[in-house]
Amino acid sequence: MKLAIYIAFKNLLGAGLRTWINVLVLSFSFVAIIWIKGIMLGWDHQAKSQLIEWEIGHGQYWHTNYDPNDSFTWDDSHASPSDTLLNAIKEGRYAAILVAQGVIYPEGRMVPVCLKGINTTQQVLKIPTSFLSQEENSKSSAIPVMMGAYMANSCQLKEGDQFLVRWRDKDGVFDAREMELVKVFATPVPTVDAGQIWLDCSTLQNMMGLNNEITLLSLPSNESNELLFSNEFQFKSKEFLLSDIEKMVQMKSKGQSVFYLVLLVLAMLAIFDTQVLSVFKRRREIGTYIALGYTRSEVVRLFTIEGGVYALLASALALLYGYPFLLWQYRNGFKMPVDVAEFGIAGSNHIYPLFSLALILGTFLLIAFTTLLVSYLPARKIAALNPAETLKGRLS
Amino acid sequence: MIRFILRGLLRDRSRSTIPLLVVAVGVSLSVFMHAYVTGIMGDMVRQSAHYSEGHVKVLTRPYAEMAHLNPIDLSILNASELEEVLVHQYPEMDWVHRINFSALVDVPDSLGETKEQGPAFVMGLDLLSDKSTEIKRLHLTEALVRGRLPQHAGEVLLSEQFAKKLSVEVGEEFTLIAATVYGNMAYVNFTMSGTIHHGSPAFDRGSMLIDLSDARDFLAMEQGSAQILGFFADGFYNDDTALEMKNSFNTLEHGEAEDEYAPIMLCLADNPTMALYLGLGSQMGMWISLVFLLTMSLVLWNAGLLGGLRRYQEFGIRLAIGEEKSHVYRSLLWESLAVGTIGSAVGTAIGLFFAYLLQHYGLNIEAFSENASQSVMMPGIIRARITPVDFYIGFVPGLVSTLIGAGLAGIGVYRRETARLMNEL
Amino acid sequence: MTRLFVSFIGKNLLFIIGFFAITNLINAQITPAEVLERVDANLSANTRVFVSEMTIHGKRFSQTLQSKTYSAGNSKAFTEYLSPAREAGTKLLMLDDKLWIYTPSSDRTIQLSGHMLKQSVMGSDLSYEDLMSDTKLTEEYEVVSMLSEIYQDRKSYLMELVARTESQSYARRKMWIDAEYFVPLKEELYAKSGQLLKQASMSDLKQIQGRWFPTQMVYRDMLKNGKGTEFRILSMEFNQAIPEHLFSKAVLR
Repeated sequence: MKLAIYIAFKNLLGAGLRTWINVLVLSFSFVAIIWIKGIMLGWDHQAKSQLIEWEIGHGQYWHTNYDPNDSFTWDDSHASPSDTLLNAIKEGRYAAILVAQGVIYPEGRMVPVCLKGINTTQQVLKIPTSFLSQEENSKSSAIPVMMGAYMANSCQLKEGDQFLVRWRDKDGVFDAREMELVKVFATPVPTVDAGQIWLDCSTLQNMMGLNNEITLLSLPSNESNELLFSNEFQFKSKEFLLSDIEKMVQMKSKGQSVFYLVLLVLAMLAIFDTQVLSVFKRRREIGTYIALGYTRSEVVRLFTIEGGVYALLASALALLYGYPFLLWQYRNGFKMPVDVAEFGIAGSNHIYPLFSLALILGTFLLIAFTTLLVSYLPARKIAALNPAETLKGRLS
Repeated sequence: MIRFILRGLLRDRSRSTIPLLVVAVGVSLSVFMHAYVTGIMGDMVRQSAHYSEGHVKVLTRPYAEMAHLNPIDLSILNASELEEVLVHQYPEMDWVHRINFSALVDVPDSLGETKEQGPAFVMGLDLLSDKSTEIKRLHLTEALVRGRLPQHAGEVLLSEQFAKKLSVEVGEEFTLIAATVYGNMAYVNFTMSGTIHHGSPAFDRGSMLIDLSDARDFLAMEQGSAQILGFFADGFYNDDTALEMKNSFNTLEHGEAEDEYAPIMLCLADNPTMALYLGLGSQMGMWISLVFLLTMSLVLWNAGLLGGLRRYQEFGIRLAIGEEKSHVYRSLLWESLAVGTIGSAVGTAIGLFFAYLLQHYGLNIEAFSENASQSVMMPGIIRARITPVDFYIGFVPGLVSTLIGAGLAGIGVYRRETARLMNEL
Repeated sequence: MTRLFVSFIGKNLLFIIGFFAITNLINAQITPAEVLERVDANLSANTRVFVSEMTIHGKRFSQTLQSKTYSAGNSKAFTEYLSPAREAGTKLLMLDDKLWIYTPSSDRTIQLSGHMLKQSVMGSDLSYEDLMSDTKLTEEYEVVSMLSEIYQDRKSYLMELVARTESQSYARRKMWIDAEYFVPLKEELYAKSGQLLKQASMSDLKQIQGRWFPTQMVYRDMLKNGKGTEFRILSMEFNQAIPEHLFSKAVLR
């Protein structure tokens, strides 16, 4: 076997340019497959971690009546958490949010919005809640609020602008106040952006007359906190909250598999062609092997291994230029020329690919296996050769 | 000479079959890949075009400014007249009417009292007329989860998730409540003939498809339409043509000069998101195709090289019987040119054939997954798109690389001694 | 519109009863209670039957709806739409705090509740809730000031009311009452914060059955663009006997 590999290497390296073309093609496929898969993996990971960072934390508790997509439920989906929890919220260990409905009037048309009051002390979510704290904004009588960039843009508002919001408190009393947009934040997660106005939780609680009441809570870690909650709140696991993204990425991945397939076929085409020629040109050599006492299957194995060595050489070459390339991609990300957030999916303009050992080994095995298969197929012909004839260099 | 070369190729299988096969397979892969990449890159744009943007759309200016609020009171009123104008001026386009609005669904119990209520996003589009192209455009048949498509006035499709939430069964009636163009509330009963899966969380949550004339009656719009969408006959967006059409339409006077509600035409690329996606599509498509073409070129180069190496023995004999080295070399190049041309032509034809199949029928990738339901937004169907480029793109690697390969292999003819070549046997 | 009209005209008078005790008023020759008493004499009645027109001004379309309304006291009202053809046959029944709507197009009676009540009535500047509000001003609001003021060349009394409880839709109201005919000329509704939300102005005073009555009213949501919603009383009869079956759900079908 050792000899077989040694001979294979010698043969291949001796063939010069055509070997290197094959190796280049194969290594190309190798790197490209890992790269594309890495991007998909990175996207999946990134979209999920952004959602975790910006919106859901490591799971959430929702008021039992709360349905984020049905604004009619918001009037009845708030309750007071226990005192222990209230303290923890004050300390910022949880992100507590009160959700309410409001109306704004851009261009004199009524536009319903979602008012989200969040504890400014929270350290769970990336939403820059510190901009909302009252001390900073005490100059103005208007309520300090924040919006995502998409929302601010669609309302044609910029930082410093004031606008009127009308809402009804818990008793249905109409109220309307000026709000001042103190911060427009850019977020890759549209579900904390579109149609939403963020303000200090206690401000919204005062506006609504709902002292200490909240609608939902994002957790900082996977710790189980059942004891902290009354039965008015229901646990929503991270997996549940991430399922939409999961589906989306899976769907996209399927579309990419054609790339791998074609890349592989291309590489195999080159190797197949080379192998066919090898077998054709090296009949005398084959005859000699057999005359020396090699069995036919051993010769077939020799040729197969020779093909397989392509995979090894390709891996080495892939390592040579693929490693720096993939590392560079891993560090700097792949820039999407579009704003994905606008499409309504979590993501950002840079995708940082992820390369796991499993991915690299898997791809290597896939390529090695197909290479061996493609090398074996033409080599099979050898078994049918007549040794005497082949020694003379004739194809029987 | 040409005949001689061709005859040689035809008679000597080893000279023709394998190189031809390799070139043809390689070229067909390149062509197919290019069409495939173009197809999937246009996918997101296509979904938005079909759902809301059209390739071009005609609407009133005030509506365009507030389109995200679906202000039906700012609709086009004389939509039928306008359609005639559009059909006359741009007969190659497929023009369809759309009316989107928000409404409330009220589901009664057996006594007619309200059982469930929920807000709905309603899309009015032609579902019933014989000439309707919408069912095919939105893959409604494939996206159907329960029941059937509407066949009569008053029948509607709900998103499956929404129907479940409201606990409406196929064949059951409910009341739709929404503001008409006059602003007053209309209450009309509809029957759910079936449910569909959109594949977009927002649409699956609470949306409804209703026939255009039902929507018009309901909203008191008579011949009105919120928007008239235009689609290119081949189903693919063409920015140049769309822009030209938009400019020609918008320079014409429509209605009275002072009419604030005179129609304007917008093209898909006027939507910034769409413009970015179009840009992304062509850019990514270009890069991916380039990588493939490069790889392909290498493979074919190698094939050309191999094709030359195969024949060193023959060259030896030819030189031995007194043929000039340059002549042998030239004939090798001519032969590879022939192989490249024929292989590229055959490969392009094969590639186009498969690309056409994928363009026409689409590949249902969802069928391989566990939940085999399809949807409107992401139909789980991958389609290729054949563009004019596909007719010649394969010739680049097919011809050039084969020639270079043969050219390099042929150098050996010069380098080696005749006897050595003979010995390659 | 009907109930609003009814409630506006009717209910505002109810606060007469509660006002005798109020002392913190300007030194007018007449007390707020007396003003409201005079208004009541003009507008109040046990029953009313009237035909009215409502014109809704949209950004682009205007529509006029005609209806006939029967009302008894402040808690019962039945309205049937007469025109346009699309709306003819639509019936609204209000009993206490409940509202049902029947439309011939759906042949269903739908009880409007919760969020539906916040929708605008027939595209007007009022919500069903505005229509329904059964506010007893005298009980729910306190008169904090009364001033003499010239409103549109008419000498009038301007009264400012503040909600006594926390559950009133509008925390503050202002009313202008004609000092000669004792008919309300204008009302403004304010949010808790003091923001003006809605405004109603009355005009075209006519004498009906010996009473002065405003036959035109314009109601506007002040946060929205637009010309608001107009009401016109075409005919009005006070204290006619109304058959009780008009105030039962059976009448809707």
